[in-house]
Amino acid sequence: MAEIDSGITEPLISVTGVTKHYLRGSETVRAVDGVDLSLYPGEMVAIVGPSGSGKTTLVNTLACLDTPTTGSVRVNGVETRDMSEDELVSVRRGFFGFVFQKFYLLPTLTVAENVELPLLFLRRPASRRSTISLLESLGLSSRTDHLPRELSGGQMQRVAIARALIVKPRVLIADEPTGSLDRGTGEGIFDLFEDLCQQGLTIIVTTHNLALAERAHRMITLEDGKIAREESKGSQRS
Amino acid sequence: MLAETHLFGFFALAIKNLLRRLVRTILTTIGVALAVAVAVSLAGFVNGYKTAISRSIDLLGFQVMVMAKGCPYEAATMMLKGGTGLLYLPMSTFDQVSTDKSVSAITPVFIGVAEKEQTSIREDAASSFIVVSGINTQSFTEMKPWLTFQSGEGFKGGRWFSDGETREVVLGYEVAEYEQRKVGDTIELSITPAGALAPKSHEFNVVGILARTGTQDDGTVFMPLARAQEIFNRPDQITLVGAKLREFSTAAIRQFEERWLSLPEVQIVGLQQVKSTLLSLVGTAQIMIGAVAAIAIIVAIIGVVNTILMSVYERTGEIGIMKAIGARRSDIFELIWYETLALCIGGGITGVVIAFLGSGIIEYLLRRLIDVGVQGDLVSISPAIMGLSVGSTVIIGFFAGLYPAWRASSMRPLEAIRSGE
Repeated sequence: MAEIDSGITEPLISVTGVTKHYLRGSETVRAVDGVDLSLYPGEMVAIVGPSGSGKTTLVNTLACLDTPTTGSVRVNGVETRDMSEDELVSVRRGFFGFVFQKFYLLPTLTVAENVELPLLFLRRPASRRSTISLLESLGLSSRTDHLPRELSGGQMQRVAIARALIVKPRVLIADEPTGSLDRGTGEGIFDLFEDLCQQGLTIIVTTHNLALAERAHRMITLEDGKIAREESKGSQRS
Repeated sequence: MLAETHLFGFFALAIKNLLRRLVRTILTTIGVALAVAVAVSLAGFVNGYKTAISRSIDLLGFQVMVMAKGCPYEAATMMLKGGTGLLYLPMSTFDQVSTDKSVSAITPVFIGVAEKEQTSIREDAASSFIVVSGINTQSFTEMKPWLTFQSGEGFKGGRWFSDGETREVVLGYEVAEYEQRKVGDTIELSITPAGALAPKSHEFNVVGILARTGTQDDGTVFMPLARAQEIFNRPDQITLVGAKLREFSTAAIRQFEERWLSLPEVQIVGLQQVKSTLLSLVGTAQIMIGAVAAIAIIVAIIGVVNTILMSVYERTGEIGIMKAIGARRSDIFELIWYETLALCIGGGITGVVIAFLGSGIIEYLLRRLIDVGVQGDLVSISPAIMGLSVGSTVIIGFFAGLYPAWRASSMRPLEAIRSGE
């Protein structure tokens, strides 16, 4: 596992006693069931577990895309539990960057336009030079004016990462970012995450791939919505 | 780059979304364009027709007409077209009315209908009848001082006939055009005298061709009053007496009317009365026309709402992603609303252009299909109509976009992403 700087005390995100329950017909599904977790600046945390274990629900709650049924979610010191949809947007805008398994690039926009899209919503001026510079750092400089359909899966995922990074977020949330990619491309994505972490970005990534997850500073295993194991560099606790 | 400013950025994004389903966008735009084109054309027709009626009546030169009793609408038609099914007054009516001290100018007019000899090279373009007006040149031209003769090659030396002449005629602009006649040519008219069964042919010398007036005079053959009465076998008869009053007011016309209604079988028709009668008829048609245009626009707007809603459903996942990466509800609302507006504005402008370019065709068809009864432009699409149409389309687009925009902006990001998968 990667090394993390010592001496970090204030968590960027902390959740306490978080539960998320859904109703499926008459049955209550406990997708997340009493999770306590803190995430610190500059660390990469991998969340692993079988399908249906609550990984995606947990990261969505951490990222203010969803609100918990019970429990507390503090983002950068702000309690988000009772916030409205618009208030949650205000919290996550510019603070979180999102990467999804299916990339979700807008098919009508070029690579550069897809990357600059969040700036439009944040009312920040887009600079083509900084967009190209970011794409260069991700090995996509020759693809700036291409449409998503002209890219490979790995390239599309790197465009999605560039789109997440353009707003200079504090936290990058990546939900199964390698799920649609081959092994080599998936490793390349994790190489990139390690580089970004070293530059101070906090990364939360969910994956089924244990080999990749072990490259994170911490690996949290979820089972039935609960934290079954938490492993960090040189330690393990259940 | 999407754009330097968020407004243009959103608009660029909206346009790109519309271009994604190009055929659907084009079809929807065509729907709006056709509805707007119908509305603009109909508004242009009403506008043009009203103007043409007003202009035609104003250019009659008369303020009041004394004519044989009959339907006021028929009287109005006679004023505009020269009329058919004519009724006649005794010449003494003119003599009597001439003594009225409130009259500043007065002229007797005899109107008859002649059949055209088949000499025109444009038989298809004109009716087979020509209106013949018997006039007294001095009083008639005093009433219509704007009448001038055409100049240029073939029209030189144009003049009025003298009242005692029997073979000279002056042609209106359109008669000369249709019949391809110039000054010095002859024209043959076939006239059925009153009481006779068969028409009799008469040849006349063309001594002048009038410049275009945009009135019924363009389609008239003028000849001396006495000659017209003679060849139509209606001695001492006239069709109407046109008069101008010293004081032109409703009260003056009413007093004039009261004085002369005592004459047998006479009606007094005021110019304003005719104008308001015809304009009220057009106004009635305007309501129907407005209803047709409104239905066309409502159907088009339903098409727009349907298109945008379909587009929203298709892009549910994308809308979720946009919200996840920072879009507020208001951003999504704005984006979808711009798409609706773009469709409506695009359709509105296209519709106005179609209506503007097609107005000539519409006018041609209207004149071919119906007897419109007035000269001048029938379809008049003014800048005000164009501006109002595009403006209305924008306002309608504003409201049409509200529901799809609200639907899209109300989606929660996670649910939207999941349902888009």
